[in-house]
Formats: sequence, C-alpha cells, structure tokens
Amino acid sequence: MSFDPETVAAFVDSELDDLTARRIEREAATDTALAEEIARHRALKSRLAAHYAPIAEEPIPDRLRSLLAVDDKVDTSLAGRRDARRTRFGAIHWGAIAASLVLGLTIGLRPWMPAADVATEGGRLIAAGALADALDTQLASNQPGDAAVRVGLSFEDQAGRYCRSFESRSLAGIGCREGDHWQLERTLRRQARGAYRQASSGELADVAATMMAGEPLDGAAEQAARDAGWEHSR
Amino acid sequence: MRFEEELVELLPRLRRFARGLVRHASDADDLCQAAIERALKSRDQWQQGTRLDSWMYRITRNLWIDERRAAGRRGFHSPIDDAVTQVAGDGPADVEAGALRGDIDGAMARLPDEQREVVMLVLVEGYAYREAADILELPIGTVTSRLARGRETLMFYLGEAA
Repeated sequence: MSFDPETVAAFVDSELDDLTARRIEREAATDTALAEEIARHRALKSRLAAHYAPIAEEPIPDRLRSLLAVDDKVDTSLAGRRDARRTRFGAIHWGAIAASLVLGLTIGLRPWMPAADVATEGGRLIAAGALADALDTQLASNQPGDAAVRVGLSFEDQAGRYCRSFESRSLAGIGCREGDHWQLERTLRRQARGAYRQASSGELADVAATMMAGEPLDGAAEQAARDAGWEHSR
Repeated sequence: MRFEEELVELLPRLRRFARGLVRHASDADDLCQAAIERALKSRDQWQQGTRLDSWMYRITRNLWIDERRAAGRRGFHSPIDDAVTQVAGDGPADVEAGALRGDIDGAMARLPDEQREVVMLVLVEGYAYREAADILELPIGTVTSRLARGRETLMFYLGEAA
C-alpha cells in the first residue's frame, strides 16, 4: 500500500483533493490491502454514526426546551415535527402495498466498499455504500427475499422529494432524495438480529404516512422514478 | 429566526454530541443545559453571520473540559464499565441491543478526552477537519493526529469488522 494511514482516513472523510482521491480510488480497485483498509474505516464510521443517530431523534426534554422559552406546544423532535405536519392521510391501505418478492437486481457493488451504509455530510446522515446502492436501484416489487437491504415504500413527501423506507439487518429508516444522495430522515436501530421485526415496519409505515403527499408509488411509478434517477422530469 | 429558535433547532445534534462526550443521558442533558444557559448569558459574544452551531459546540465542549478538570482535581474518575449496564433494558432484545451498544460506548469511554471529542465531531457530527479544529481551537495537525489515534483505539476494541 503506497498511502499512509492518515491519507486513507482522510480519503474516507472526504478531506483529500480530487486528484489524490481519484488515485486512491483507482488503486483500491486492484490493491486488496488498501481496499480492506478503506472498508475498515468506512465500517467504523458508519457504525458510530448509526449508534449515535437515534439520540438526535429523541424528543427534547422539557427542561432544555423551557430554557429557550419557545412555545411549549412546539415539539422539536423530528418525529414531532412530522406529526405536526400530519394531514389528511390517516387511512392509507398499507395492505395493498405489500411487496412481492421475485428476483433482484445484481447491484454493481464495488467490493472494496462493503459495510458503510451510513455516512455524514455537514452533520446530516446520508446513505452510503450498499444502502445507497439499494435505494438507488432496488425495486420493492422486484427484490430477493434475502436482500441485505429491503426497500419498503417509495413515495413523494410534502416537499416534493422522493423518499423510500428500508430495512437492513442493523438499521431501518427512511431516506429522502436530496441532490445526488439519500438523506436519512428517520433511523431505527434494529432490536433483534436476523429476522425482520414486523413492529418496526409498522412504525416506519406510520412515519411514512405523516411525511407523504398523496399515495405511495405503485410498482410502475417506482420503476419510472428509478429509471429517471429519482429526479422529477418536470 | 430568533436566536432561541436557532438554538432549539440545534438541540437534537447538541444532545447527541454531549451524549458522546459524557455517555449518561442525564449527565449529557445537564451539560446541554449548562451550555444553553451559558449561550443565553453570553449571546452578545456570538457574531451574527458566523455559525451558531460551531459556537454552541465550542461552548459545550469547553464546559465539559472544565468539568472534567474540576473532577480530576477532586480525584474523581467516572467508572468505565457501567456503560453496559446503564443502557441494557429489561427484555432480551433490549439486553442484546444494550450489550451491542455497550461495545461502542465502552470503546468510546476508553478514549482519552482529547481523542473522544475529535472522534465525535468528525466521525459522528460530520464536521470537516478544519471546522473541528476551529471548534476545538486547535491546529488542524493536532486534530488529525488525535483522530488517527482515536480511530486506532476504536478499531482495536471494536474488532476488525468494526
């Protein structure tokens, strides 16, 4: 490996100039040791980010909020703010949206970027690695039953962004398309390993219901949105 | 937006940062409370147009360091290993999740303070090296070397798979 450890870390932290970053990327494609080092750093970063993410989703304790004398009725938690925006979509028929699992896409995963599902950018959580790839390309109507990341609902939120709920072994949440990445709006750490817990799917569906404008995308709309790169054509 | 409203917007992230520094939820909220009180008292020192988040993180971190130094002088060191029991709940799933979480909390607790704050700012809060150096009022080289040592230690405790 021709890069020192601090340079590799700086690469993972997006702190390198473009030229050096591209050199590392190119070399990682053939240098296994370098690729593993990058993967190790990414894994650590995403594990830390996922570990601390739920704290920022907690409701703010009254004793802190009261110091700032904002209206007590204003719930400053992310979930609370979404509840406040809850509008007319109380009775969406979730049953109709059950995903049929047929066969999946083989995603062009780069072997040297496995474990990092979460990254931070400007203090916000975004999807990375396999999670980002799954949100980019995987269709709920056409994914393997044992997919590492399972995509649930796709919908447009009230700000007009495409959002998709997902579950993986360690993390579940909702990602919304912002520019060229998926901002994680809601993350739940999985309580039990292995089997998908129905409860968290329900929880996510509830959150999705408060965010969405209109109905969730059906299979055809999901595919059309994906093929358009999750950008609105208008 | 009013100063207070901007602070409220920051609170979720600030609580996360505080939790990384002091671990126990109530202690972390005590730290946040002290930081908010300090910010309100010295709001004239915040220059409009500069980043409120950096200023708040700096206040929080400085209060934490003051507290750590005072505790050090009193000869008090918080125990490391109770992090695991603190986060474990009653049900089997909670206990498992608590134990898994304990790995990270335990590993973070083993970092020296000056590495833990850098790890939180860069790896969790997502600040650029330059921004973290500004918050901590340190040269950028000091930040990167502390970050490298912190990473090594965390990888050691959390294992190859991190």
